[in-house]
Amino acid sequence: MDGYAGNMVFVDLSAGTVAIQPTPLDLKREYLGGRGFGIRLLTDLVDPQTEPLSEKNAVIFASGPLTGTGIPLGSRYEVSTISPLTGTASSANSGGVFGWKMKKAGFDAVVVTGRSAKPVYLLLDNGKAELRDAAHLWGKTTGQTTDAIVEELGDKTVRVSCIGPSGEKLVRFACIINEKTRAAGRGGMGAVLGFKNLKAIAARGDRPIEVADEARLDVVKERVRAKIQENGIEQALHNYGTAVLVNIINENYVLPTRNFQTARFPNAENVSGETIAKTILKRPKGCYACIVQCGRVHEFDGEAGEGPEYEPDWAFGPDCGIDDLKAVVRANNICNEYGLDAISAPATIACLMEMVEKGYVDHPIRFGDAAGMLALVKQIATREGIGDELAEGSYRFAEKYGHPELSMSSKKQELPAYDPRGIQGYGLATATSVRGGDHVYGYMISPEVLGAPEKLDPYVTEGKAQWVKTFQDLTAAIDASGMCLFTSFALDAQDYADLIATTTGMPIDTTELLRIGERIWNLQKLFNIKRGFGRSDDTLPARLLNEPLQEGAPKGQVWRRDEMLDEYYALRGWDTDGIPTREKVEELGLA
Amino acid sequence: MVEGGRETNRTGSVMTVTVKSFATFREVMEMQIVLPFPEGATVRTLLADLTSRFDRLDEQLFAAPGTLRDFVNILKNGRNIDFLAGLETSLEDGDVIALFPPLAGG
Ligand code: SF4
Repeated sequence: MDGYAGNMVFVDLSAGTVAIQPTPLDLKREYLGGRGFGIRLLTDLVDPQTEPLSEKNAVIFASGPLTGTGIPLGSRYEVSTISPLTGTASSANSGGVFGWKMKKAGFDAVVVTGRSAKPVYLLLDNGKAELRDAAHLWGKTTGQTTDAIVEELGDKTVRVSCIGPSGEKLVRFACIINEKTRAAGRGGMGAVLGFKNLKAIAARGDRPIEVADEARLDVVKERVRAKIQENGIEQALHNYGTAVLVNIINENYVLPTRNFQTARFPNAENVSGETIAKTILKRPKGCYACIVQCGRVHEFDGEAGEGPEYEPDWAFGPDCGIDDLKAVVRANNICNEYGLDAISAPATIACLMEMVEKGYVDHPIRFGDAAGMLALVKQIATREGIGDELAEGSYRFAEKYGHPELSMSSKKQELPAYDPRGIQGYGLATATSVRGGDHVYGYMISPEVLGAPEKLDPYVTEGKAQWVKTFQDLTAAIDASGMCLFTSFALDAQDYADLIATTTGMPIDTTELLRIGERIWNLQKLFNIKRGFGRSDDTLPARLLNEPLQEGAPKGQVWRRDEMLDEYYALRGWDTDGIPTREKVEELGLA
Repeated sequence: MVEGGRETNRTGSVMTVTVKSFATFREVMEMQIVLPFPEGATVRTLLADLTSRFDRLDEQLFAAPGTLRDFVNILKNGRNIDFLAGLETSLEDGDVIALFPPLAGG
């Protein structure tokens, strides 16, 4: 009666065994679920020196207490592991229906260790768990895998989270896809499953998900529902999807173009959310219990699928100098089918394009070549030809050819769709992100560009360190709760605390909520430090620190790391090397 | 595209300003419009001109007279007017003003 399913399943792939255990109370109390569960279990189970692609790495799938409770946008699950792309303790979040189904099947978390000798998939079946042969699924796309499992179980209610051929081929940025189009996208989670020979997790069941105080939860639910429905931002997400950002980021002169060589794309309109809505959009679509429905179902020229979201739209589009919307959408669909991160794949292609332009690599691809880009996506997805080298990610690729500075990444993970030179706080957030280059571990674009919850001057560094810390901690807690991060445009910390407290019966107020987030953040950080990460890793590509923007209002600006990093470390209770002090570690109960 | 009629003020100087609209604003006004303004005009002048041309724009821009709705963003040449002089931000010849309703993504 606390919003949780009540059990976790431990899967030892080497031994071929599953063991079910109750979800411990202290784990719930200190880490909530989702990313919190994932990082706690990962750091408990895995030696910090572990190679990401080794038998010893663990992968944790975890939902949160708010997942599947009927709370609007309570749809998420999170996958945590040591990333083969970054080497950090990492996590990736996904929506859709799978997280809810995991709980209906009776599980808050699935903890996978070891390596199977042959391909298998895990079936979570109404309180039971079993490993099943997946030889016949190996080599299949995510869509084929999903259909095959649904068919062999003869049960349309089953939901599947799986890898495609890219995970099997150990592409360092292979992702995990549920319901064919929803991705736990970043960090190469799919490669870890591929290495482990775990093709999929399927879930079905009808276990009740009971909450602590239904009457009080209903009141809070109605409050948050009204806030979301009345919020203009959420309405825009429904109408135009996330790609509505293309124009506003471009008009701010911070839309990275041609591998961050400039920050304005003249043809942005052609790949904008407005154009998507006008041309290829069939209907909006939502995850479980979502009243926003930011997903896009598209159809054109026989192509049918979902997306594109803003990030892949930008990365296959402006970052590759491409304004052909249909090519962008096709590329995104290939990523969904093969199970590739649709940020890292295109950003790696953009890196190749610049390497070619500068004469460092000999290849026919050029910026703006949509057909060439599409061919490269497939090559990466299957590690064919130059795709085999690109499948290592932009950093390893660029380094191999002597120019790592042309990889637009942080901690070897490709940066998302915003130029930090004109958005100082966002730069700090992504540089200090404990999972590497990132935008959803603390979305500073919201205050610095979109003006929510209040408008912050994006060119100013003063005061940003505190905002970044608060956003990072709050986001960690939201991810742990099972809520979609997009609720944060309408809700505040009090709303989340009330939702969690009434659902779980645990005494969670805003202070405690942020403390849980901070605990997760620090645990991830401490693990990374043991893996050799330090202050010098909390940075961005030299281009962003040294080469001023050339156009528009932010002309002349660079990203000013030195004005923010020390203050950020101090606010976090970390020393000048970015190592949490003993007091901080003790305060958070991490000693 | 709508081309506004040319007007002159007493000193005879006229500025030309390009206004672009995005997302839901496109449902109530032109996507792009070039307008003339007398010297000394501000963003406030511009918005008054626009709301007189496009009936439904006013309620989408303003929560109350003179107060923009939450999360409406207005850029002058790529700079948010909140960090210039707000609605009193002066217009200059050749300016591009971009109008965004509340929106987000990620
Ligand atoms: S807002 Fe979008 S991502 Fe979030 S739950 Fe709704 S449809 Fe899913």
